[in-house]
Amino acid sequence: MKRRNFLRNMTLASLATPFALKGVQYKGLAKKLFNYSKSAEDRVLVIVRLNGGNDGLNTVIPLDQYGNLLAQRSNVIIPQPNIIQVTPEIGFHPVMTGMKNMFNDGNLTIIQNVGYPEQNRSHFRSMDIWSTGMTDISETRGWLGRYLDSVYPNYPNDYPNAANPDPFAISMGSEVSSTCQGLMSNFSNAINDPFAAVNLLNTGAVNDGTYFGSHMEYLSILIDQTNQYAATINAAANAGSSLSSLYDVNNPLAVQLRNVAKMISGGLKTKVYILNINGFDTHDAQVDANNTMIGNHADLLKKLSDAINAFQNDLGLLGISNRVAGMTFSEFGRQIASNASLGTDHGEAAPMFLFGSCINAGIIGSNPVIPSTVNSQDAVPMQIDFRDIYASILKDWFEVPEIEIQPLFEQAITYYQVLGACNVGLNELVEERDKGIVYPNPAVNNATVRFKCHNERVKIELLDLNGRQIRVVFEGDLTYGIQNIPFELEGLKSGQYFVVVNKESAKESIALTKIQ
Amino acid sequence: MIPDQIVEGPLTMSMDPYNGTWTQQEAGHLLRRTTFGPTFQQIQSAVNLGMDATVNSLLQINPTGLPLSYDPNETISAFGTTWINSVYPAGAASAQVHENARIKSLGAWLIKRLNTENTTIAEKMCLFWQNHFAAVLAPDSRASYQYHLLIRNSSLGNFKQFVKDMTIDPTMLIFLNGASNNVYSPNENYAREILELFTIGKGPQIGPGDYTNYTENDVAAGAKVFTGYTVDGLRSATLTSPVAIYYDILHDQSTKQLSSHFGNQTIVANGATEYADYIDVIFQQNQVATYICTKLYRYFVNYDLTLDVQTNIIPVMAQTMIDNNYEILPVMQLLLKSQHFYDIAFHGALIRNPLELVFGMFNPCDSVPNFDLVSNSDLYISIYDFCQNMGQSYGAPPSVAGWIAYYQAPAFSKLWVNSTTIKNRFDLANYITVYTGIPINGNNFKVNALNLVNGLSFPDNAIAVIDDLCTVFFPKAISAAQKTLLKFILTGGLPDFEWTNDYNAYAADPTNAVVSTPVRTKVEQVLARIFQMPEFQTI
Repeated sequence: MKRRNFLRNMTLASLATPFALKGVQYKGLAKKLFNYSKSAEDRVLVIVRLNGGNDGLNTVIPLDQYGNLLAQRSNVIIPQPNIIQVTPEIGFHPVMTGMKNMFNDGNLTIIQNVGYPEQNRSHFRSMDIWSTGMTDISETRGWLGRYLDSVYPNYPNDYPNAANPDPFAISMGSEVSSTCQGLMSNFSNAINDPFAAVNLLNTGAVNDGTYFGSHMEYLSILIDQTNQYAATINAAANAGSSLSSLYDVNNPLAVQLRNVAKMISGGLKTKVYILNINGFDTHDAQVDANNTMIGNHADLLKKLSDAINAFQNDLGLLGISNRVAGMTFSEFGRQIASNASLGTDHGEAAPMFLFGSCINAGIIGSNPVIPSTVNSQDAVPMQIDFRDIYASILKDWFEVPEIEIQPLFEQAITYYQVLGACNVGLNELVEERDKGIVYPNPAVNNATVRFKCHNERVKIELLDLNGRQIRVVFEGDLTYGIQNIPFELEGLKSGQYFVVVNKESAKESIALTKIQ
Repeated sequence: MIPDQIVEGPLTMSMDPYNGTWTQQEAGHLLRRTTFGPTFQQIQSAVNLGMDATVNSLLQINPTGLPLSYDPNETISAFGTTWINSVYPAGAASAQVHENARIKSLGAWLIKRLNTENTTIAEKMCLFWQNHFAAVLAPDSRASYQYHLLIRNSSLGNFKQFVKDMTIDPTMLIFLNGASNNVYSPNENYAREILELFTIGKGPQIGPGDYTNYTENDVAAGAKVFTGYTVDGLRSATLTSPVAIYYDILHDQSTKQLSSHFGNQTIVANGATEYADYIDVIFQQNQVATYICTKLYRYFVNYDLTLDVQTNIIPVMAQTMIDNNYEILPVMQLLLKSQHFYDIAFHGALIRNPLELVFGMFNPCDSVPNFDLVSNSDLYISIYDFCQNMGQSYGAPPSVAGWIAYYQAPAFSKLWVNSTTIKNRFDLANYITVYTGIPINGNNFKVNALNLVNGLSFPDNAIAVIDDLCTVFFPKAISAAQKTLLKFILTGGLPDFEWTNDYNAYAADPTNAVVSTPVRTKVEQVLARIFQMPEFQTI
């Protein structure tokens, strides 16, 4: 894999319109590849599968559609005052405090209305489609397996080896992940407990040149490989550590993510971890009859949000957050109208989350539109194709050239910018995290000021060395969290300047060097 | 790994009746391929009976039992009776509770058959057809039962009639959207799969929308032919079984034009039986016989379709099928009696699927649970779960194309084992031999090592015991060194006569745990190793 083309992404980032400030803090367009993470070889992707079809409309709640939603799902909807406001238009389920913090800290992206054309509402078929990244029913390889096959065509022959001592992917649990199915073998290693010693008996077997013999050789390789991978996984898990106190030992997803943090910090070179959380098929009893804020769906979302928040916190404390990005997906969303059993039935598009300190934090896509009249079985139509997100992750995170990505998918790919500047140096150094910075610095024509504020009015000025105001960069009300405000330097002479952030709570002055 | 093209292929390309030596080696091969784990006695009987008579006795479908209510949540049908014609209670929640109870009973029924009906080819045929018409269980277990009963009753019958019956089977109508296919909103799902996967097969694309054997227009025309059927009575509180029901008003009354691949024939409107007219037209193409015979070959003989096999074997099978108006039985007789089938190249050429693995451990030991109905059923569900963890959930194939190990080149049956499932296989092997067994409601279920050893030719002779165990569990002879090691485990490294003494002490007082336990544990230790040998993973 080749290294990231730094300049290309600079160009993309500078396409942001610096003075379209209304809502800029939500769009995250301004993040540049300052402090960007290490080379793609070190990067890890964590995938969390929400099995069963997550009710997106009770997860990321379109506040501007609340009235029409209420009319269609009054028995499951969250009361408006209890929704966590993320932006004026978007709210989270009240249990998702962890993910709200991540959003505020620039560690979470919401991708709206993700799906594919002609949604299949069968769990199995739709999960196949999401796993293979293809709607073609004859495709059986996973989207990651297809990619890995193209890079490592002989797998599993002669793996592990000196260059690739560790499994390419680890599926937490007892099943390999169909996202990693390759032609000959699955690229994922299913690991229930990375600390468990695996020592499968290898009685030896001879290939006598027959079909039987070829199986003997295959099985013998497999047994050796399983033992060897288990040994490196074991070693990494024991060498690694976990520093966060936020993990709940009663939350299975959190426990698995803690193990993932240990394996990554212990030096395992595995590129992909896949985790699974079951139970999202909430046809009935999605919510408690007397209180829609509690119930099965609330429990699931709390597990998800708490676990990912703890994991992100841990990665920051371990100093490895710039190496890890995450993604959630589910086979479909659920219908707009609820049913009579306090549940919702199979639907279509739903939000995905990306998480990590290097993702392009913010919101991609717009709120779904809930009409005033809804037919039975109506669901949220797809706005963003999930295969475009997969492709964008391959491109931005693993730095796979577009020319290699396109053949992996059926349709012409539309790329989204899913990677942004890493919040490293902020997350990792807790005492530093609230301090404002300007990046890049020195800067040529564009720069971004990054700071933390409360829900308050903020005015940002650009001053010269003598304290004279050159212009007001921004003035307006912001919500709590890390803010990234881009601005232009074009036309200014080279030299020293100050960016002054006037908050109601404090005033920060940040030096900036302008170069040609 | 060595590519298949340099593997030593079969030498015998004759479909003439096999007339070579008929020993435990050949009889064992036949029984391992056609049943789920023969006992030593079954192999010996087959040797005595001869090849021809053995095949004839295998090619039968005997009646099977019914799924029985055993879950306390089932309140409509009494405990121990069947629910297959019982209504559901009113109310979606109660119906769901009953469905949960019934689906467990159905699952137990499916798995139990593999354990208790192992004297004919029936269950191997049923698995073949479940993989072929790969529908998942319906939302109403009565429909799922009908589907699996149809499979069993048709499994050696007429393929053409089978496809017709399957077309209007409620489970299939639900699975491939036939139930919502009508003149106002045609759904092509079934129309596509019947051509692509169930009958004629998809060939290379030779033009826009043209897959050699059919075209996209044929799919669209087929969708119209199939309009009008739907399913009534799902989880009904009044109807005792779900039924396929035809509404003429929902049927497309136009004349359907087929492509040149079907001789440009038309299907004229013919109401409720029009689908059968269309299937008759599909079956006029001999490619249907070639397609299904290829699939039978891959399942029963070998995944590798060499040029020789495509030239000399498949056409003979297909012609036999055509000559017999698509009867399945004559093709199976031809295949299982052929010289080609017994070629040594095929011994151990397939990796056991999880069901073959599990029952390849239990059945040769005559291990059948004899707890009460609840525990027996729960045990079978537990075994179902083990198989699911090893990649095969009966009743829920992963896609309409079936399990990938049956079609995915180049790995085919190798796909049954990966780093997870090999560990699951070995863990289970240990569990049911040297560990506690599968825990079930306070009991444990493991292989019956004493039954096994008692059924061997000379159970008090350590050398003969190991020889017989190899005959039962391995598709090919293992080395002398491997046998020596197995005997070492059996005797604990002591002289052979010590085994003889131990066994005879047990045989003289079989209910005395003091003398039976040493014999049992020794055999269990041997089995633990056998079940973890790569040789055992093949069939």
